[in-house]
Amino acid sequence: MNAFTLLAQQPVIPDFGQGSRCETENHAFCWGWVTNHWSDTLQPALLQHIKLAVIAVAIGFVLSFASALIAYRYRRADQPIGLLSDFLYTIPSLALFQLLVPLTGLTVTTVEVALVSYTLLILYRNILEGLRAVPEDVREAARGMGLSRLQTLVRVELPLAVPSIMAGVRIATVSTISIATIAAFVIPEGLGRPIYIGITQDIFKTEIIAAGALAILLALAADGLLVLLGRALTPWRNV
Amino acid sequence: MVRKHARRAVKAAFALALAIPIVLGGTANAQTTATPTITVGTKNFTEAFVLGELYKQALQAKGFKVAYKENIGSSELLDTALTSGKVNFAPEYTGILALNIAKVKKAPKTAAATYAAAKAFEETRGLTLLKQTPFFDADSFTVLTKTAKKYGLRKISDLKKVPSLSYGGYPECDKRITCLLGLKQIYGLKNIKFVQLGTIPVTKLIDTGKVTGGDVFTTEPALASPKYTALVDDKHIFGFQNVAPVVSKKLVAAYGAKFVNAVNAVSAKLTNPAMIAMNKAVAVDKKTPASVAKAFLKANGLA
Amino acid sequence: MIRVLADTFSWGTFPDAITFIVDHPGLLWHKSVQHMELSGAALGLALLLALPLGVVLGHVRRGSFVAISVSNVGRALPSLVLIAFALLVSQHFFVNNMAALIVLGVPPILTNAYFGVEGVDRNIVEAARGMGMSGRDILLRIELPLALPLIIAGIRIAAVFIIATATIAAIAGGGGLGDIIVNQATYGLSGVVGASLVVSALAFAVALILALVRKLLTGPYVSAS
Repeated sequence: MNAFTLLAQQPVIPDFGQGSRCETENHAFCWGWVTNHWSDTLQPALLQHIKLAVIAVAIGFVLSFASALIAYRYRRADQPIGLLSDFLYTIPSLALFQLLVPLTGLTVTTVEVALVSYTLLILYRNILEGLRAVPEDVREAARGMGLSRLQTLVRVELPLAVPSIMAGVRIATVSTISIATIAAFVIPEGLGRPIYIGITQDIFKTEIIAAGALAILLALAADGLLVLLGRALTPWRNV
Repeated sequence: MVRKHARRAVKAAFALALAIPIVLGGTANAQTTATPTITVGTKNFTEAFVLGELYKQALQAKGFKVAYKENIGSSELLDTALTSGKVNFAPEYTGILALNIAKVKKAPKTAAATYAAAKAFEETRGLTLLKQTPFFDADSFTVLTKTAKKYGLRKISDLKKVPSLSYGGYPECDKRITCLLGLKQIYGLKNIKFVQLGTIPVTKLIDTGKVTGGDVFTTEPALASPKYTALVDDKHIFGFQNVAPVVSKKLVAAYGAKFVNAVNAVSAKLTNPAMIAMNKAVAVDKKTPASVAKAFLKANGLA
Repeated sequence: MIRVLADTFSWGTFPDAITFIVDHPGLLWHKSVQHMELSGAALGLALLLALPLGVVLGHVRRGSFVAISVSNVGRALPSLVLIAFALLVSQHFFVNNMAALIVLGVPPILTNAYFGVEGVDRNIVEAARGMGMSGRDILLRIELPLALPLIIAGIRIAAVFIIATATIAAIAGGGGLGDIIVNQATYGLSGVVGASLVVSALAFAVALILALVRKLLTGPYVSAS
């Protein structure tokens, strides 16, 4: 290979554009970065995060609801179900993600299975306790009015259990949003990813603060919305 | 009667809740083998993202359909993804292929030999290597240029002149012949001290004098600055780490010369200065890997 | 059902993980000790801050709003975010990670301490007051023992959460078993899964110990709830 062909091989290195001083010197917070990267980094991460959380809480709710109904009807089922969800809850989140990786791969499925597991304890507990807290005389009154067991459940017991159920959904949702940040260790989705990249790229302050603030705001917003939803579902309660 | 309804409802709910993740997982895994989709997989750091985007966009510019699986993780996971068919195109470092994946007994002595060893191994598994890049992203012994001038250092062998030597390396470096053990045994730097790197960037440790030199990868943005000098690895303990795309033989068979030439054309342009500039644009100037790749390909008539 | 199981990975990873554990006892021991040092320090300080405060507030039956708000806000703080923010403030790795862990551990301890003491049956407290017991005696000999189940439940939640978050703190220099779990390039998938098993075992051990403590301390008493 002579000098001429060697020269012809050299690539053209374009000017990629300088980062602003704020970015290259890593000042405390660069609004410019946030506005520039909202649509390519922050917004997608936020939407992915919401999706992860919603799916997890929905599936967790269905599973917990079914389990709670079973435990409500068959008292003996309470201990095993309670122990299982308690067991899952104790496993540190990052460890649970990694333990699932050999089984379900680096996929959304792995993340969702773990997230769902963490919702089970609180949702199952709250739904069951909510149902159990219905006073016995109310149940008897319903029975006395001729309502069947299913009708009593649907028209009396469940509505009275709503505050407890909603409290559980609230806690589960906020916890899920919180734990979903760790999903970034397994798949490149959710608000944890900009935080992770920010930390490993020379601790880039702006990205960490922006994504972190979004995660906290998302959790608080979800909490607030669920409080309103709870109040809407129980108009007979004051406050 | 009522109990039966309740039980049925519960069973239905259970079935539904189990079905959702199965369906989600199943549809995610569905892939036809008739005309294989080019699925590019990358590891999870800046340079990997840049490389992935470069190859992806270059192929798309030539009319190929490309699926993209970013952030797969370490070499081990990327290799598993390749052998299981989850991805069929992955840029990988020849040294890692030869030493860690193929596990050859004797470390190859040249870049060409490393490439050949890696290629031979992959071809026994239904994969092959396309042409390797001029650039190499290997470990280094990087010092402040000030330090190099002070002791007259150009290559690692020159380090014998430096009293009280210390090296900042990544975890497990102190157990590897391709790292600290090589410095001690092959270069004879018997009294070298090891400082393990963590979250604090190695350049900071070099700046503050906490280590004489550290492991700055040869395409890290820091090396764009005249402040640092990477010493020449004259005894080649750090091995050779050019990049070559590992692709499935099925892809080459299906798409032929047009595909291979498009990829090789990109690889040929990736020199050390080019990679350093692109890594800097992403890591320091905070541009996205996609936009940096796009600009580079455009400037070189590849997209 | 088979479709859910990844076609890229194998069950063989688990035996490999056990092999890793057996092959690296020194490494895992060292990391475990580091992990428990950080977690223990954080839990201890969180207890010091939150337990007396929660108990006293519950006793005087004031500040339920604070207790509830602390709990809500605490839950809304994603652990990774706190670790990241703490790293921004200081790079003394033990200190900034411990601070983040303390912030995460305080809410469950505070809230449960408050509601545990506040929720003791008023009749019992009134009866005690009627018998002439001082406020302090009521707190120490009536309310605290009856509140113990809830208090220990809160400590357990905090402990498990702190151990879990200490795993993530590895990327902010926190060390511990997380160092292995986030460093797959160095330790391989078998190492990551192995370390995950070890940290899970640690969390279980701590939860079990606290459950035993609760049994020991509340044996002769009837729970308040």
